[in-house]
Amino acid sequence: MKQIRNNILRLVPLLTALFVLLGVYGGVSLAVNGGRWFSSSANTYVRRLKKTVTEGSVFDRKGTLLAWSEGEKRLYAADEWTRRGLVHVLGDTEGYVANGVESFMSYYLYGFDQPFSEEAVRYLRGEPKRGDDVHLTVDASLSAYIQQRFPKGYRGCAAVMNYLTGEVLALCSFPSFDPAQGAEQAKGAWGQPFFNRALQGLYAPGSTFKIVTLAAALRNLENAMEREWICTGQLTLNDHLITDAGTDLARQVYVRHGTLDLRRAFAVSCNNTFAMTAVEVGDANLKKTAEDFAVGVNFLFPDLVVENSSYPDKNRTEREIAMTGIGQSALQVTPMHMLLIAASIANDGVMMEPTLLQAVVRPGGDTVRKMESRAFRRTVDAETAAVIRRCMREAVVNGTGSGAGVNGLKVCGKTGSAEIDGQKNTNAWFVGFLEEAGAPYAVCVLVEDAGGGGTAAAPVAGDIFRFLTGNP
Amino acid sequence: MRRRGLTAERTGGDSVRKNKDSGAPRRIGGDERKHSSGGILPLVEAFDVLSFLLLFLKTGSFAALGMAVAVPCALGLLYRLMRRRFYADGLLLALTAFLCSLGLLLQFRFDEGRGWNQALSVLLGMGAMAACILFVRFAKRWTLYAPLMMLGGWGLLLLPVLFGHEINGAKGWLTVGPVTFQPSEAVKLAHLCVTAYLLSRRKLVGAGVFSLGCLALLLLQRDLGTALLYYGVTLVMMYVSTGSLALGGIGLAAGAAGAVYGYTAFSHVKRRVAIWRNPWADPSGAGYQIVQSLIAIANGGLFGVGLGLGNASVIPYYYNDFVFSVLLNEFGGLFGLAVLGIYLLIGMRALMIARRADTVFDALLAVGCGVQMCLQTFVIVGGNIKLIPLTGVTLPLLSYGGTSMISSLCVLGLLQGVAARVEYGLERDRRLAGEGGK
Repeated sequence: MKQIRNNILRLVPLLTALFVLLGVYGGVSLAVNGGRWFSSSANTYVRRLKKTVTEGSVFDRKGTLLAWSEGEKRLYAADEWTRRGLVHVLGDTEGYVANGVESFMSYYLYGFDQPFSEEAVRYLRGEPKRGDDVHLTVDASLSAYIQQRFPKGYRGCAAVMNYLTGEVLALCSFPSFDPAQGAEQAKGAWGQPFFNRALQGLYAPGSTFKIVTLAAALRNLENAMEREWICTGQLTLNDHLITDAGTDLARQVYVRHGTLDLRRAFAVSCNNTFAMTAVEVGDANLKKTAEDFAVGVNFLFPDLVVENSSYPDKNRTEREIAMTGIGQSALQVTPMHMLLIAASIANDGVMMEPTLLQAVVRPGGDTVRKMESRAFRRTVDAETAAVIRRCMREAVVNGTGSGAGVNGLKVCGKTGSAEIDGQKNTNAWFVGFLEEAGAPYAVCVLVEDAGGGGTAAAPVAGDIFRFLTGNP
Repeated sequence: MRRRGLTAERTGGDSVRKNKDSGAPRRIGGDERKHSSGGILPLVEAFDVLSFLLLFLKTGSFAALGMAVAVPCALGLLYRLMRRRFYADGLLLALTAFLCSLGLLLQFRFDEGRGWNQALSVLLGMGAMAACILFVRFAKRWTLYAPLMMLGGWGLLLLPVLFGHEINGAKGWLTVGPVTFQPSEAVKLAHLCVTAYLLSRRKLVGAGVFSLGCLALLLLQRDLGTALLYYGVTLVMMYVSTGSLALGGIGLAAGAAGAVYGYTAFSHVKRRVAIWRNPWADPSGAGYQIVQSLIAIANGGLFGVGLGLGNASVIPYYYNDFVFSVLLNEFGGLFGLAVLGIYLLIGMRALMIARRADTVFDALLAVGCGVQMCLQTFVIVGGNIKLIPLTGVTLPLLSYGGTSMISSLCVLGLLQGVAARVEYGLERDRRLAGEGGK
């Protein structure tokens, strides 16, 4: 009996642990994810509040009014290009667009952060409740410009951010739709207009991923930049041929770059060289560097919901490692993530957390929240970043990215032409940035099924750089 | 172990009854009672009055106004009755009363019809609880009851396998005339009694065979949550009776192996686990229930949206499986934490009662009851907040449903029975000591 009494005593920590586990898990997940659960477009409670609360207004960084409420009706900017250019940032009131500001920031727009005391005073005075105004970091005129400039009839996206602060200036996905006509009419339209390709679309990054492979080479290979490589235009690994862009297999015409160093190979986007580099670096090292660039990391940004990228983990033969090194294989990244990668190179290896919320202003005029720049993680050291910047500059000055070049501006960048199964043309990519003190902007352009990155995506980026610096 | 020295003259039910017949005092002064509710019951009653009044102000329903008076009165009467006539433990009673009335409040808040049904279930359950107390106090012929319960338990669990119908993927329900019920809820009691009896007789193999039989039948009903419950309770009771960590380890390993087998063998288990891992993959389809539960919890935050102001009723089965999410939604996370604390307190009280018990059977029974309450709470609340995959067990005393309410109160009744034996023994010892002193 005494033994049993002692055994019973040992159950005390066991039972306590069960409940502590419940409490701690519940508390932590509420603290970490509660905001996301609340802002989910599946939350019908928020929509019900519309009857009693006037939703706050949304402004851009220059104070342009983007969306506001009159009674239960939601109104948008007068210019259709502006409306379309911002529709994926703002989202819609019905919640078709996932995680738009209208639902993701409903916490502020419906005034959930307003203190109970204010609410009580308002209730006693019989005043209706009004939510807070939200000021975004986006630029309405830039968004409208991108909306006009993007090649017509193509799917894709374009995103712009300030690489020093992390402020997102534009986030456009194509096709778009006009929120003033109601989201309902765009349902089932061509190209899934509700889909926010920049944040949610997972794509093979193609040659833009060579930025990461180059970083891995600089980190793991001796004298990486001094060594010479030989590109024959036909590299065979595990009985599979790896060729370069422009190769015509049917007529047995191979593009070959001959002897070159990594800088030239990067500028001309030589697949053979980077395939050999990736194999020599090895899967574990390449994966480690990719992880430093946040591939496979859970993005829990406060302002944006970005799909997580993933590094392939199945069937890691030499060929697959090589294909990963040139951004193919089963590698999946979002355009926003590629933008962050390029931006971190521009910012001496520090990846800033992308922000969308500039300020929250109470109906009385008090600013209750202001944007803070936060570093998300370090990707490479400053010297490595400087070397990669030189290579990206070379790619624009004398390489595949020349289409993005602008007279008088120091543009750096990398093109990509990602092959997609079942698609006639490649996906055209360009990621790059301005190495200019007064204009710290990074840009990512993706045009789906459009051909080479140098011809289909780089010129769009070039025009965005022109617009940003005011020399069209 | 304050009273170990006093237990010598305790014998059994017979002498207890004799003593009672020969003029045991009906009234027992508060200061003499060592384990009163410590003034918790008035707080519970105040909570009930305020919350039902609030509900009345919100909905204007006169049923709520009536309940604001009826619930505290009924609880007060039941409490006195249970304390004085049945020697029940005061703290346990007060906590039970709180949870029952909170359950009533949540049912009345959404649907008055369900509220009345729940009230009826509580009353019936209290009667059943009293019966269980008497049963534990006076049952002697366990050599007869145990085999009967064993066979009856297996038989009852077999019935739904043969004739049952499916609700939410589990085939554990029986319909007899107008009544639909879940035999596994009733068999819980038999399982506790039989396992405690066999283990107190050191029949470890017998207890194992009985529990394995129950588990097999529950798995045939595809009622995974209840199977997990039976399994956990058996394992803990075996550990307490033997003190063997090796046995516990083997049991855990076997359970883990069973879980892995279940995952690979049954598609519905796989589906449940997939939903648990990422309900947001299909927020309007397969993951809808969990997603809406999480959203309701987030809407509630720390302090809740307020009684009657939430919309947690969008969660399918919000009134039974997801009643805790409703609670978090309207009353908030801090209140939810407090309610979890009450379940833990019930478990701790059960362990305390078990340590005071005089016989191995009593101790094991009390442990089983307490652990079952706690484990069941863990399984369903863990499912609600996405800590573990969701299984369809009810939250004791809060969920809607007659079978569940009555069986939960019966489990507490078994526990109270052990408490009453301790309490009555104490009372008698004290009296004898007092008489001796004069």
